[in-house]
Amino acid sequence: MNKIKKIITDFGLFFKGATDFKGRAYEMLESERKIEMDNFILICFSDQLGMPLPTSYYTLELLPYLVDEIQDWDKRMGNRKSVWEERWSNYDLDP
Amino acid sequence: MAKIIFYGGKGGVGKTTCSTANSISYAEQGLKTLLVSTDPAHSISDVLGMKIGKKIIKLRENLDGLEIDPEYEAELYVNKIRENMKTILSNVIVEEINSQLDAAMVSPGTHESALFDKISDIIIDKFDEYDIIIFDTAPTGHTLRIFTLPNLLEGWMGSLAKKRRTIVDMNKMVTRENDKKDPVLEILEKRQKRFGEIKKIFNDNDNVRIRFVLNAERLPIEETKKAIKMLSQFNIPVDTLVINRIMPDDIGLDFWEKKKAQEIEYLQDIENEFKGKEFIKIPMLDVDINKSTVDRLSKFFND
Repeated sequence: MNKIKKIITDFGLFFKGATDFKGRAYEMLESERKIEMDNFILICFSDQLGMPLPTSYYTLELLPYLVDEIQDWDKRMGNRKSVWEERWSNYDLDP
Repeated sequence: MAKIIFYGGKGGVGKTTCSTANSISYAEQGLKTLLVSTDPAHSISDVLGMKIGKKIIKLRENLDGLEIDPEYEAELYVNKIRENMKTILSNVIVEEINSQLDAAMVSPGTHESALFDKISDIIIDKFDEYDIIIFDTAPTGHTLRIFTLPNLLEGWMGSLAKKRRTIVDMNKMVTRENDKKDPVLEILEKRQKRFGEIKKIFNDNDNVRIRFVLNAERLPIEETKKAIKMLSQFNIPVDTLVINRIMPDDIGLDFWEKKKAQEIEYLQDIENEFKGKEFIKIPMLDVDINKSTVDRLSKFFND
């Protein structure tokens, strides 16, 4: 019985994915990726924002490899309209 | 297996003298010894009357010496980053990043991080080359930090590597690039591994010892008590105390007259060397200086 249920669920997912064509799934992944990247860059280079960490010296050598990603980060931080909307819009928080 | 000995103690108790004398003794026993100074004051050069620098030099038979200059090490590191940048990025961006790197050089943690990095390098790279490595460290507080850093940094680097791995996986899902190795992740994992190596060496009680130097006086004793208590929280045994400058048992007038004569010479040296400056001379008291006796000294400051 469970096996049949699983096959039906898998079929459903297959069609969902096959018809999604860079739609919501891609957007969700991108947004998640940007959030992870923002946190990562913040920790690596917090020293330059005035917040030194024990690892600041050691993350300096990552700088040359992360230049593109830092530029994107910079743009995102500049265009930020609402942090709340970015991070919490997916959750229904109203009581 | 190398034994690693850290010499700690309050300033002025004779740490440098003792660590140097200790290293000479090991060398004379036939043990290949490396004496490393991490104290910015670099007094080992003064004690031995030899110019000890940033490259390991032979001091005596079986004894090599080295002074760590954290500023120099930090510059080396940052310059390597600059060189690396030129091969990856355009000139315009290199200029921008150069000013960021200059700022990073004067950041508060840089000195300590560069020092710890060099100490780690020496321990890991020279472990098999020497029988004993002695570190003459700067006064107490600084010594304690060295022992908390391996755990702390391995943890931090591990977290960063984990975050980066997540990002790399996400990148693969979005752009489907499966073959390129991420250089950032490689660097993070290499660092994590290195901190793990140091942590392992420090955690092995047979490898690392701390020797505290103190004088038979109140303040050094208090300082040593505090330091041992703090280090015990990190499972670091201080098994040997070096009590320096103990007066001879049968102390007679002869001893003190010689001491006084030498002191008179040095007082004259001071007056010659620092001509034109004001001198405030404070006598040595025959009692400990504490809250009841410190008033006796205040009258000498009549400026």
